[in-house]
Amino acid sequence: MSTIAFSASSAVGKNAAASADVPVRIAVRNLNFHYGDFRSLKDISLDFYDRQVTALIGPSGCGKSTLLRTFNRIYSLYPEQRADGEILLDGQNVLSPSIDVNELRARVGMVFQKPTPFPMSIYDNIAFGIKLYERLPKSELDGRVEEALRKAALWDEAKDKLRQSGMSLSGGQQQRLCIARTIAQKPEVILLDEPTSALDPISTGKIEELIEQLRSEFTIVIVTHNMQQAARISQFTAFMYLGEVVEFGPTTKMFMNPSKKQTQDYITGRFG
Amino acid sequence: MSEHIVRSYDTDLQGLRQRIAEMGGIAEKMLVDSVFALARHDKPLAQTVIASDPRLDVLHREVEESAILTIARRQPLAVDLRETISAIRIAGDVERIGDLAKNIAKRALAIGGEFQPHKIVVGLRHMNDLVLGQLKDVLDAYAQKDTEKAVDVWKRDGAIDALYTSLFRELLTYMMEDPRNISFCTHLLFCAKNIERIGDHTTNIAETVHYLVTGETLAIDRPKNDRSIDTTVEAGD
Repeated sequence: MSTIAFSASSAVGKNAAASADVPVRIAVRNLNFHYGDFRSLKDISLDFYDRQVTALIGPSGCGKSTLLRTFNRIYSLYPEQRADGEILLDGQNVLSPSIDVNELRARVGMVFQKPTPFPMSIYDNIAFGIKLYERLPKSELDGRVEEALRKAALWDEAKDKLRQSGMSLSGGQQQRLCIARTIAQKPEVILLDEPTSALDPISTGKIEELIEQLRSEFTIVIVTHNMQQAARISQFTAFMYLGEVVEFGPTTKMFMNPSKKQTQDYITGRFG
Repeated sequence: MSEHIVRSYDTDLQGLRQRIAEMGGIAEKMLVDSVFALARHDKPLAQTVIASDPRLDVLHREVEESAILTIARRQPLAVDLRETISAIRIAGDVERIGDLAKNIAKRALAIGGEFQPHKIVVGLRHMNDLVLGQLKDVLDAYAQKDTEKAVDVWKRDGAIDALYTSLFRELLTYMMEDPRNISFCTHLLFCAKNIERIGDHTTNIAETVHYLVTGETLAIDRPKNDRSIDTTVEAGD
């Protein structure tokens, strides 16, 4: 009598096994977040792996952008917003009052949904951030600007108009300029909050290609409403709902065979 | 499974399931009729079987086109993606089952009223009954998303292989006895092989149903009992 064995060497299995070998870069532990009296994140514990892309998905208001905003404490600009728990970046709790927030934001860069170039030249958009933290001779600064533009796949399009306003670029180019500005500061982590939702498919493709390139150097966390985008570009996916993480796992597993019914209902468009 | 927010998505997937159900019904009937036509020398019935095949081909094409359109239009994920891919695979298997049944019907016409040893015909019909049971069960398993039933079919196929091996030996013996038997024995041998192949397609469908329901693939090694490749018959055996 033969027995049935299930194949353990599926793509899903390999991906899951890979997570064991990759070090954790950001460890979130028992994180709660409050907007005034409203508790928008409930006891979140989640690992983000080094030089991997992690996608946060979930319906509007589920807390995914809030979670992203805790990593560089951008919420602390608003007095009624507070977080408690731990977010360990290389073992150091970024929520600790002793953390220098400006230094933190250089280590954890962020790109927003709508491109936000500064009203200055393309060159200065990038040099501005570098000059905040480093004093570099002109030639070296030029090199850093070029390197950032190259990594953001914008150099060829922008090299002949570095002195033109950043606002003169197209939407997709502006978004890549914002990514270049983030990269120029040599961050460890890049947070992307729906970076392509305002872009056409060609620009979206370029940003996705860029994210794939950047993964070799940076740990990336992306919030997206586009399921297919999450499936394409991330290695790990967390599905959030009502301030909680419902399911977290390798992206292939999450999109081919999720464990939780809620996840399946959401990604297949049955949520309601 | 709850409904999609976009209702036409459910209609698309439902359409795939309905077409496959229709294909399954046609293939079952073709299989029953082809072996009946062979055993009873019923030429009109054999012709009916041959005439049903184009409808199966049309449905197969419709399933493929509709599934491709669903992928393009809705980019299905998780269970929806598995459902779409499974529809393409199962439609392919059922279409092949139809081709094999049609081939049996053609051979029924070719053999005509030639002598057929009773024992062989009984053996073929028995094999066909088993395969037909598998086909019905696996189509039910698909319709009901019943993975246990599918795995049961997958395991049962070994019995058909064993029957095929025994028929193979007997037909070889008839051929050795009298070269005039070679013509119809070869036809019957191909018929037996066709039925055995249909059994294999039902196990393919069983594997697809298992994948559709669980998201996991069944192991590669299925219990197999086809020993015909090792079979030789010596004169006087």
